[in-house]
Amino acid sequence: MKIQFNMNKSLSLRIAVYVLSFCMLLFLLVLLVFFFFSRKQIEEMTLKNAEIITSKSAMDVERTILPIIRVAQNYKWILENKQQSSAELYEMTRQVVENNPDVIGSAIAFEPNFFEKEGLYFSPYSYRENDSIKSMQLGNASYDYFYMDWYQIPVATGKSGWSEPYHDTGGGNSLMTTYSVPFYKNVNNEKKIAGVITFDLSLNKFTDSVSSLKILETGYATVLSANGTFVTHPKKELIMNQTIFSYASEINNPELREIGRIIQKENSGYVSSTLNGVERMLYFKKLSSSNWSIAVVFPKSEMYLPLHKISIILIVLVCIGLLLLAVIVSKIISRQIIPLRHFAGSAREIAKGNFSNQLPLIKRNDELKDLHNSFEYMQRKLTQYIEDLKQTAIAKEKIESELRIAREIQMGMIPKIFPPFPNLIEIDLYATLHPAKEVGGDLYDFFMLDENHICFAIGDVSGKGVPASLFMAVTRTLLRSVAPDQMTTRGIVNSLNKSLSTNNDSNMFVTFFLGIIELNTGIMTYTNAGHNPPVLIHPNGEVKAFEMTKDIPVGVFETFEYEEKTLRLSDNDKLFLYTDGVTEAENKEEEFYSEKRLITMLSKNYSLTPKDLISVVSGDVALHVNENEQSDDITMLSIVYYGSKR
Amino acid sequence: MIGWIGGFLCCLQCLAQELPQLTFTPQWLPQAQFAGYYVAQKKGFYKAEGLDVRIVHPSPSVNSVEYLRNEQSDITTQFLTSAFAFRDAGVDLVNIAQISQNSALLFVSKKEKGIMELSDLNGKKIGIWRSGFDEVAREIIKSNNYQVQWVPVLNTVNLFLSGYLDAMTVMWYNEYDQIIQSGVNEEELNRIFFSDCGFNIPEDGLYCLNKTLIQRGDDLLKFVRATLKGWEYAKENKEETLSIVLEEMKKNHVPTNKAHQAWMLDKVLLMIDPGSKNVKKGELAESDFVKTQNMLFEAGNIKARTAFKEFYKPVMKNK
Repeated sequence: MKIQFNMNKSLSLRIAVYVLSFCMLLFLLVLLVFFFFSRKQIEEMTLKNAEIITSKSAMDVERTILPIIRVAQNYKWILENKQQSSAELYEMTRQVVENNPDVIGSAIAFEPNFFEKEGLYFSPYSYRENDSIKSMQLGNASYDYFYMDWYQIPVATGKSGWSEPYHDTGGGNSLMTTYSVPFYKNVNNEKKIAGVITFDLSLNKFTDSVSSLKILETGYATVLSANGTFVTHPKKELIMNQTIFSYASEINNPELREIGRIIQKENSGYVSSTLNGVERMLYFKKLSSSNWSIAVVFPKSEMYLPLHKISIILIVLVCIGLLLLAVIVSKIISRQIIPLRHFAGSAREIAKGNFSNQLPLIKRNDELKDLHNSFEYMQRKLTQYIEDLKQTAIAKEKIESELRIAREIQMGMIPKIFPPFPNLIEIDLYATLHPAKEVGGDLYDFFMLDENHICFAIGDVSGKGVPASLFMAVTRTLLRSVAPDQMTTRGIVNSLNKSLSTNNDSNMFVTFFLGIIELNTGIMTYTNAGHNPPVLIHPNGEVKAFEMTKDIPVGVFETFEYEEKTLRLSDNDKLFLYTDGVTEAENKEEEFYSEKRLITMLSKNYSLTPKDLISVVSGDVALHVNENEQSDDITMLSIVYYGSKR
Repeated sequence: MIGWIGGFLCCLQCLAQELPQLTFTPQWLPQAQFAGYYVAQKKGFYKAEGLDVRIVHPSPSVNSVEYLRNEQSDITTQFLTSAFAFRDAGVDLVNIAQISQNSALLFVSKKEKGIMELSDLNGKKIGIWRSGFDEVAREIIKSNNYQVQWVPVLNTVNLFLSGYLDAMTVMWYNEYDQIIQSGVNEEELNRIFFSDCGFNIPEDGLYCLNKTLIQRGDDLLKFVRATLKGWEYAKENKEETLSIVLEEMKKNHVPTNKAHQAWMLDKVLLMIDPGSKNVKKGELAESDFVKTQNMLFEAGNIKARTAFKEFYKPVMKNK
C-alpha cells in the first residue's frame, strides 16, 4: 500500500516538475525577450533624455547670449557706419552693461593710434561694480590689450568668439568669458580692422545651471571650453585647472583624450568609454555661438538600474507563482489520480478472488471512466470464467475418477500375484506393466491351459489411453475365452484375429506374442503377431533375440493365417518379453533406450531371477529416460524354465 | 625693570640674527620650472645651510629684476639672454650659478602648415613672446636671412591654436605641453629645436646684484649649494617633488595641473644636465657666454660687451 502511495505521489510530483520546467523555460524566454527589448528601449530613452537635457541647457545659454549677439551686431554696424564721439563710445559700453544683467563689462577697443588725439591705446570700457556701473579707458602700458587673446585673436582671425574662461579679477570667484566681435572701418576705400567690441559675461548662472543637472543616479553635466578646459565639473579641482586632455594624461587614459578630440571636432554626438573603472556614456553638444561644449556623462550601468529592479521583482513574483503553480498542479493531479489508487486496491482485491469488490465510483466521462468500465468488464468476465473453470474442473475430476476406476479395472484384469504358481516347480515368472497414461494399451497374461501347459502372452494395442485400454481389455477377455478351445498358439491367435477384426470400425490393432510351454518337455510353441521379438537367455549367459516375425498384428485382416513356431527350452533358459515402450523409451535428447542396450543389459544380468531381471531393466530404462516424461506404456514379462526334473 | 626689558629685546634681536634672511624671486609664477628651489626649502636644505630663505613670486606684469633693484629680493633667476639685456640696460647683474645648461626653445607648427625644417619658416607668420626670450629666435631667423612676420603674443597658445599662426616659438617644458593639453596630438606637430639649429643657449641662471654678492657672498654660496642639492633631490624623487610644486602653486592660487607640471619637471631636469658640455652642474661655460654675447651684440640687442669674469661670478668657485 505504501509503494502504491509513493507511486501516486511521484506521478503527481513528476508531472508538476514537467509543468514547472516548461513554465520556467517559457518564463525565462519571456524574460529574456522582455529584457532585451526593454534594454534597447531604455537605452534609447536615456540617450534621448541626455540629448534633451543637454540641448535644453545649451538653449538656455543661447537664450542669454542671443540678445548680446544682437547688441554686438548692432554696435558693429553703428561703429562701422557712423562716427561717434568719445563720449558716445563710453555711453555705448555703459548702456550694454546697464541693459544686460549678464554682461559684467563691455569695451570698444580700438587699434593702436586709431584716434590721433587719444594716443596709442583707446578702449572705452564700462563695468559693473557693486550696484553701479563705472567707465574707464582700458588700455595702458601695463594693460597692453592689443596682445590680449580677447583682442588679438578676433583681430587676427576676423572671427567673433568666446575667449577661454578666466577668473574675474574684480574679486569673487566668478568665472568669466569675453565675447569679442571685430569691427572694421573704410579707410581710403579699404576695409580695415578698427577694433573689437567685447562683452564680459559672467558664467556663474550658466555653470550653476549645468552643475545642477542630474542624469540618473550619479550622472553629471560638464562644460568644456574650446581648448577643452573644464568650466564646470563635479570635481571642483578640475575647474579651470585642467583640460580634458591634461586630465586624461593625469589619469593615464588615452581614450579620454580621444573623446576630448571628438568633442572638439564634432557638433554633437555620443561616445562611450571606461572612465575611472566605470563604463560611461557621454553625450555632448557644441554651443552654436562658440566652440564650447556641454557634455553629460553617466554610468552605463545606471541606465539599466530601473530595468534591473523590475526584473528582480518580476523574477521574485514568478518564482512565487511557479512555486504556487507547482503546489497546485501537484495537488490537482493527486486528486485526479485518487480513483487510480482505488482501482489499484480493487485490482488487489480481484487478485485475491474477490470479484464482486465494489469499484470506485467515477462520475466523469473520461479515461478513468474507461478504466472503470474495463475493470467492470474484467470483473464480470473473470467471474464467468472462474464459474466455467469450476464446472470444467468438476467434469475433469469426474473423468479422472472414472479413469482411476478404469485403471483399477484394467490392472485387475492382468495377473499381479507373484509367484503366480507357487506349486509349479518347472517355471518362475514375473511381469510388470506401467501405463504411460491413466490407462494403457499394453497387456500381458499367463494362465495354465492344463496341468502341463502354461500359456503366456504380451501385447501392445495401437494408440494409447482409453480406446487402447478398451481394445486391450477386449483382447485379454477374448484370449481367456478362446484359449481353452484352441489350445494352440496359432489357433488362439487366428481366433483372436477373427474376433477383433470383425466390426473393427476404429481400425485398431494389437501386436501380440503368444506362447505355450509344455512343462514336462520344455517345448514351447509360439505365434508372434507383429510384436517385438522376445529374447532368449541361456543359463551360460548367451543372449539371443527371436527372429523377426513376418506375421501382421492382430485385428488388421480378418482372414490372415498366423504361423506357429516351436522351440525347445533347455533347463534354466529364460525368456524376456517386452513391448516397444522399453526399447523406444526416450530421454530428453530424444534418444531411444534401444534393443542394443537392452541386450547388453540382459547379457550382464543373465543369471538373475525374472523379478530381479525386470527390476534391473526397469531401473536402467529409468536411468536412460532420466526425468523425461514416459511416452509409452512399458511392459515386461520374464519366464525362467527350470526343467521338469527339479 | 627697564634694563630687563632692554635685555629681552636684545635677545630677540640675537635670535633673528641667527638665521640670515635671503629673499629669492623666481622669474615667473610658481611652477615645476622652479622645483629645485621649492624642494630645497621644503626639505630644509636652506635651513640646514643656516639660511632663512623666503620665496617671493613676482606679479605677472613686473620683471623679477625689478624686485632686486627695489631691494625687495636678493636673488632671482633669469634667462641668460635676458641677463645680458639687463646688464646692457645698466643693471649691475651678475651670474652666480648657471642652473639650466640647455635651450628648451623650439619652433612648433601644425603639420598641416608643412614646416618640416628651418628653411620652411621663411615668409611665415611666427608667434613670439612680446615680453622677452625672443632674442634667440630672431637671431636664428636673421642668421639664416629668412624673412618672417613676427606676431607678438602675450602668454597663451590660443592664437596658435586658432590656426592664425604658421608657427610659434614655445618652451618645450611649457607652451608646447599646453598645446598638447589643448587637444593637439604630438604626431600632428612639427618641432624645430633651437639646440638643433646651433643655438643651444643656456637658459635659467641665478643672478643677483653685484653689491649683494659683495655683501652676502657667503649666504649666496649657501643658497646655491642648497639649491643644487634641491635639484638633485628633485631628480631622484619626482613624485614627491611634483606634490611639493603643486602645493606651492595652490598656496599662490595658481591653477594646478598635475600632468602639465609633471611634463615640465621632466623637461626642466633634462635642461639642467650639462651633457657633453665641459662644465659641472651649476657652472656657466665660457663658450656659451661668448656665443650668447656675440649673438646679442651682433643683433644689436646689447650695445657693449662684457668680460666673462664681470658677468659670471660663481659663488661656488669663490669658496
